[in-house]
Amino acid sequence: MGPALLLAPALVFLAVAYLLPLIDLARISAAGAPWWAHFERVFSVPLYWESLLRTMGVALTVAALCAAFGYPTALLIHRTRGVTRVMIATAIILPYFIAVLIRTYAWMVLLGRNGPINKSAIWLGFYEQPMALLFNRGAVLLGMTAVLLPLMVLSIYSSLSRLDQSLVRAALASGAGPLAVFWRVLLPLTAPGVGAGFLLVFVSALGFFITPTLLGGPADQMFAMHITQQAESITGEGFLQALAVVLLVITLVVVGVAGKLMGFEFIWGGGRLAEVAPAPARARARTQSGVAAAGADLLGWPALRVLGRLPGGWGAWTVRLMAGFVIGVLILPILVVIVISFSSASYLTFPPPGWSLRWYEKFFSDPDWMAAFRNSLVIAAMSACIAVALGASAAVGIVRGELRYKSALMLLLVSPMIVPPVVLGLSLYGLFLKLGLVGTHVGLAAAHAIGGVPIVVVIVAAALQGVDRRLEQSAAVHGAAPFTVFRTVTLPAIAPGLAAAVFFAFLHSFDELVLSLFLSSPRLRTLPLRLWADVNYQLNPVLAVVSALEVAMVIVGVALARPIFGRSRAAH
Amino acid sequence: MNEVSAAPAARGDVDAPSPGGAREAIGSAIAMRGVVKAYGAFRAADSIDLDVEPGEFITLLGPSGSGKTTLLNLLAGFQALDGGEIRIDGKPIHNVPTHRRGFGMVFQSYALFPNMTVAQNVAFPMRMAGLDRAATDRRVAETLDMMRLGEHALKTPSQMSGGQQQRVAIARAIVMRPKVVLMDEPLSALDRRLRESIQIELRDLHRAIGSTFIFVTHDQSEALTMSDRIAVMDNGRIVQIGSPEEIYRHPRSRFVASFVGESNLIEARVLERRGERMRLRGRAGHVFEAESAAGGAADDVTVLVRPERIALCAADAPDALSATVVSALFMGETLRIVARTDSGETLQLRRPDAAGRALPTEGERVHVRWGSHDCWVLA
Repeated sequence: MGPALLLAPALVFLAVAYLLPLIDLARISAAGAPWWAHFERVFSVPLYWESLLRTMGVALTVAALCAAFGYPTALLIHRTRGVTRVMIATAIILPYFIAVLIRTYAWMVLLGRNGPINKSAIWLGFYEQPMALLFNRGAVLLGMTAVLLPLMVLSIYSSLSRLDQSLVRAALASGAGPLAVFWRVLLPLTAPGVGAGFLLVFVSALGFFITPTLLGGPADQMFAMHITQQAESITGEGFLQALAVVLLVITLVVVGVAGKLMGFEFIWGGGRLAEVAPAPARARARTQSGVAAAGADLLGWPALRVLGRLPGGWGAWTVRLMAGFVIGVLILPILVVIVISFSSASYLTFPPPGWSLRWYEKFFSDPDWMAAFRNSLVIAAMSACIAVALGASAAVGIVRGELRYKSALMLLLVSPMIVPPVVLGLSLYGLFLKLGLVGTHVGLAAAHAIGGVPIVVVIVAAALQGVDRRLEQSAAVHGAAPFTVFRTVTLPAIAPGLAAAVFFAFLHSFDELVLSLFLSSPRLRTLPLRLWADVNYQLNPVLAVVSALEVAMVIVGVALARPIFGRSRAAH
Repeated sequence: MNEVSAAPAARGDVDAPSPGGAREAIGSAIAMRGVVKAYGAFRAADSIDLDVEPGEFITLLGPSGSGKTTLLNLLAGFQALDGGEIRIDGKPIHNVPTHRRGFGMVFQSYALFPNMTVAQNVAFPMRMAGLDRAATDRRVAETLDMMRLGEHALKTPSQMSGGQQQRVAIARAIVMRPKVVLMDEPLSALDRRLRESIQIELRDLHRAIGSTFIFVTHDQSEALTMSDRIAVMDNGRIVQIGSPEEIYRHPRSRFVASFVGESNLIEARVLERRGERMRLRGRAGHVFEAESAAGGAADDVTVLVRPERIALCAADAPDALSATVVSALFMGETLRIVARTDSGETLQLRRPDAAGRALPTEGERVHVRWGSHDCWVLA
């Protein structure tokens, strides 16, 4: 039983802070007369029903775009080596650590009337007046795709890297041109990775509201926005809760179906726990039926051969161009924002008319900003402590414990990752009111930790599974007690993973906006909250300063962690 | 519609009568001149010249890092030449991408497509070449029978053992009857028994289909079993090339002598030369005769004597050498004896087990000798 007990703290925490409020949410939503009254309103009032359909459509489009652009990018990372590969991978992954709010803000700058895109288009003579690139569906799709791309790239890349490298060579040697290799070998065998990425992006996009709010127009209202907008005038009658429950149920259904089809491991992108090594590919060989075979002969194979006659470089250049475009899309907004932070103008224009540090001075001398900054640091530190304490012990418990239903427990521990934050925020508000936790550091830290625990569990579990059990066994054989083994063998081996978990849990809390919107008070504002208020009302370059500082913080953190990551990666 | 004409020119004719008996030399001749592959200052392939006869089974043998896999990769087109040229049947191939070279290739990790059945795996090259289904199915069935895989056609690779998977990989490589078959240490992942039986199968397969086989391995016994010729490689160069007998019996350097088979390398001084025969004195003072094609004038030479060529003899034999037994092991079909001479040289002996043949004890004093045909003076 030993290690399994370590799961208790995390499970208790999640039960009280996460499951109970959600159950309460469902209860309130069904408190109408009759119980389905609120739900009926959701599905019959066009405003909500249409926005639900619109949200699903947007989420599907974003997922498809991410898949289409993410695959060449993952391929490019896979095919490059050495410094180039590190640089490209960093360019893709680094933006993902930066808060959604900041990245969306960067797109507002980029697409603004005085932003670089309009400015260069006019300069190049494409048109004479700045175009309204913002506040439409295109901007929303672009912004959301840009934010979620790294998720897809990572998912596809991990699938690509698990592929037996000699398969591509075998296909080449068997006469398959590069395109045939992609279509007949790479794509079928990485389909699980693409599928997992698609689902993760889709599920995340369903609950998005930051990006659509900032980049979209009135016709781009997404479902989650109803919950946040109406939360200002929160009523206990249950309609808001019904909206949240509908969103939650849809998310759970999608995840459930996906989990049945491809195994729930896709959520945390990992392999099975303490079981036989995963089968190399879930795609089972199918012998083609007569019709399918005839179709393939008539259309597929000739098409493949015609395309195969394209000069060999085309495929490689398509990959490079698309991946390059993706890298530009991910990096450009951040660079623009950093440049703007040094602008001497008091409105957002690019290129800046002059250089100045006035906005940095303004930020550091403004008591409100500094208070928000301090609050965020304190809360993030507390949240990281909570998340790591609970999550790391849970990870040890689940990986090393002798338990049944490990997959179900892991699913529970990781489930906060897929629940839309707006749903969580609404569900917690009632509980926080009762406990008097609204607007307190501890309250916010605990709320953020709900999302931090899954991150820590996934990272530490992966680190633990990478530890060679035989090292521990040989220590035990030579006389070390279990705790000593843990202290002297296991702990040093997972130290890089632990450090990473601390970093990510901290970052998660520092960047957190949605829960804070529900659970903070005018007296306690975090940095993201202050940013959110200003983005909606003021939009001055101080926001760029905050963004630049966050980017610097992330870069420093990753740079410090790189040697540790490098070592642990080499160990694989 | 018959799309045979769409097939790359280098592949064997699909409709040729399936060979079951005499060898038709459909293999290609391969000529390499000054082939270089460099990584900065390090040369993985250092100006290699090699001529491979059509239909030959040639093995590239060497330790890791010797450049044998590099050479194979250059041949296959996975890496680009940094210098020199490679010609197949007289035509240069450095501009031809891998998938158009028309070779067959077998990999150490089998590299079977996990999402396809055995039949689909083997049919893959034919589908890539655009051949019609009927011809493909026929040829695939034939090839599977050749490799004794007929009943496994609908299984997936994960349902088969290592040896069976390797056979599938070989079937896929030869299904188009290519003129050149490349093999990159294909048997290294198999256990010894399986390796030995597939070695013989490969030898027979080569005789049956007549393609040129280029085989890469670090296992010298594999090389000796299957090859028409062996090219021994070291540090990016071919240090000796010849038939298995030549390589084994008449190595030209210490490296080849000790890499291929076990060896006793004995320092000796030349007493007398008479044409092809030499009279030598070893360090322990014993005098023996040797044959050598080396015409060198050196007085101090190294003589190779293989362990199986040293015999135990009586003390009064003319060229007997006395030694003390250090260890004697019974290894089943052979007795392995290590003995140290009075001058401190260590000799390895291998003697087949026979009735009445006792294992010497440690510390026992023995006498050994070898005939002039049993030793070889290294150049």
